[in-house]
Amino acid sequence: MPASEAVATQSKLGKQTEGKQKVIVVTLKKLLKNRLAVFGLFIIFIQILMAVFAPWITHYSPVTQSLVNSELPVGSENHWLGTDNYGRDMWSRIVFGARISLVVGLVSVILGLTGGIALGLISGYFRKLDGWIMRFVDLLFAFPGILLAMLIIAMLGTSLVNVMIAISIWSIPTCARIVRGSVLSVKKQEYIVAMKSLGAGNSRILIKHILPNCMAPIIVFATMRMATAILSTSALSFLGLGAQPPTPEWGAMIAAGQDYMWTSPHMTIVPGIAIMLVVFAFNVLGDGLRDALDPNMDLG
Amino acid sequence: MMNLQQPLLQINNVKKYYPIKGGILQRVQGHVKAVEDVTIDVYEGETLGIVGESGCGKSTFGRAVLRLEPLTEGSIVFKGQEIGTLSDRKLKAFKREMQMIFQDPYASLNPRQRVGDALEEAFIIHTSLSKKERKEKVLNLLDEVGLKAEHYDRYPHEFSGGQRQRIGIARAISLNPSFIVCDEAVSALDVSVQAQVIKLLKDLQEKHQLTYMFISHDLGVVRHISDRVLVMYLGNTAELAPADRIYDNPLHPYTKALLSAIPRPVPGRKRNRVKLEGDLPNPANPPKGCSFHTRCPLATVRCKEERPIWREVEENHFVACHEV
Ligand SMILES: Nc1ncnc2c1ncn2[C@@H]1O[C@H](COP(=O)(O)OP(=O)(O)OP(=O)(O)O)[C@@H](O)[C@H]1O
Ligand code: SF4
Ligand SMILES: [Mg+2]
Repeated sequence: MPASEAVATQSKLGKQTEGKQKVIVVTLKKLLKNRLAVFGLFIIFIQILMAVFAPWITHYSPVTQSLVNSELPVGSENHWLGTDNYGRDMWSRIVFGARISLVVGLVSVILGLTGGIALGLISGYFRKLDGWIMRFVDLLFAFPGILLAMLIIAMLGTSLVNVMIAISIWSIPTCARIVRGSVLSVKKQEYIVAMKSLGAGNSRILIKHILPNCMAPIIVFATMRMATAILSTSALSFLGLGAQPPTPEWGAMIAAGQDYMWTSPHMTIVPGIAIMLVVFAFNVLGDGLRDALDPNMDLG
Repeated sequence: MMNLQQPLLQINNVKKYYPIKGGILQRVQGHVKAVEDVTIDVYEGETLGIVGESGCGKSTFGRAVLRLEPLTEGSIVFKGQEIGTLSDRKLKAFKREMQMIFQDPYASLNPRQRVGDALEEAFIIHTSLSKKERKEKVLNLLDEVGLKAEHYDRYPHEFSGGQRQRIGIARAISLNPSFIVCDEAVSALDVSVQAQVIKLLKDLQEKHQLTYMFISHDLGVVRHISDRVLVMYLGNTAELAPADRIYDNPLHPYTKALLSAIPRPVPGRKRNRVKLEGDLPNPANPPKGCSFHTRCPLATVRCKEERPIWREVEENHFVACHEV
């Protein structure tokens, strides 16, 4: 290497040692400096543990009734979070509910993301299809938020699976717009022109070169969307459109606890806190990721 | 060095217009005439320098010749085969033969791709070599442009601008092309690094009998590297001649103005300074007649009406001007 370039490399050495680490490490380091995001990560970690190890960390079935033990308050012997009106252990129901909310959230976000990324990539890249796809997206946008989900459930019928489908369809337009925006800016980059001049096909350019450079906003969106998906699942179940009794879904639990607000407030407060913590956790993690994944950051 | 008998590329009346869309309906309201009628032969083994003010259509012309974008009009014959109208699919075979080196060594490499993977891609697209053979090819390429094997696993941001430009050069020569467009290939680099990269380009040219189209706004660099120089103005060709001749004896008023703007190498030797007045006209609405007449000190009535034709005024010296 010629001398002057060697000097240039030397002066970059400090940056280089940092640069050797993967994007993930750099991002995580930044993320871990953000206290709220760390709190969010901690809550999500606990939810994952609860979801994975549910049968091993509870002693009672979440659905079997035991009327002699009904409406025990928080702090009772053998039932530290109390029981509900059918005598079911609240801890078991919360733990199994964590599993439901995580799975529903993940599945609907992944489905929505798949559709949204595909539409966003295509409409951002192929200008001829852009108009049609964006018109379809605008159509989905015309329905305000959760109304779209309710409309879809009204068509498909009430069940947790349909809730997932509804929420994933509801995620598509936002995701498609975000991805399309990134594609429009990435596709103008010289390295894309360079790939074209090498004779690379469209699918190679889209998947190997454009998509990886659009990942930052997608990751942030996915994290924030987990919060929305979990909250909406509970909201829909609360309205009786999602999980049906005796499923230990948090929103459904709040709905069931409404009649016992005065005698057993823990039946609504405990699942309420669970929803609040998890939704808050995903939101602050998303915020933290947005800052950590600064698009101007020198990534490698 | 150059072989005047055999044009590698015959570029005839090439036009490239970009539509201007406007209004609520996004109707086409006019065109940016980025390249307006360029005719030129490029000879095998030569370096053709292209100079002109910013926005005169140099990059657009380079991209059009490589068929990175469809032509609005005109024909490009490459090694005897018309490629101006070829479909994208049929074009793939020619893409191996024609490559580009970009201005910005930071923007022309995918930041998420290791250098080795980036260089390997050309072989994945165009050959059926095994993973091991491809790696060997890439290591050879790195060596050829003065980089090391240990650079294979690094990401672009770990390199200096000059090194990145070397990576760009390695990518451009990976498929053994015969023709390379260097669009401001050294403009973004420090002067000392510029010299090294130019030397590398020259060495590679000799080794692989490459033909270069060297686009730059740096007239000194262009003189140094080019065999012939083409001066463009507002999408048109103004003057074309062997490098020394155009610098020592420019004929077109625009060339004179351009050259008088660079500092003279020999102090004391006076050159009549011709100043360019006014701004470059809007390429969406170029002046009638000679496109330079709005700023030309020699302009006559005829210049406002009639477009000067592109003609060979002496051997290998082309000019488009009524007053020459
Ligand atoms: N994709 C495009 N769409 C619309 N107009 C374009 C496009 N690319 C270039 N132009 C226009 O065409 C004209 C010529 O641009 P071009 O980039 O070829 O000039 P240039 O000579 O390379 O300038 P520079 O020295 O600044 O690189 C400019 O007016 C520019 O705005
Ligand atoms: S044709 Fe006329 S306006 Fe154009 S350069 Fe020549 S003298 Fe000037
Ligand atoms: Mg340019």
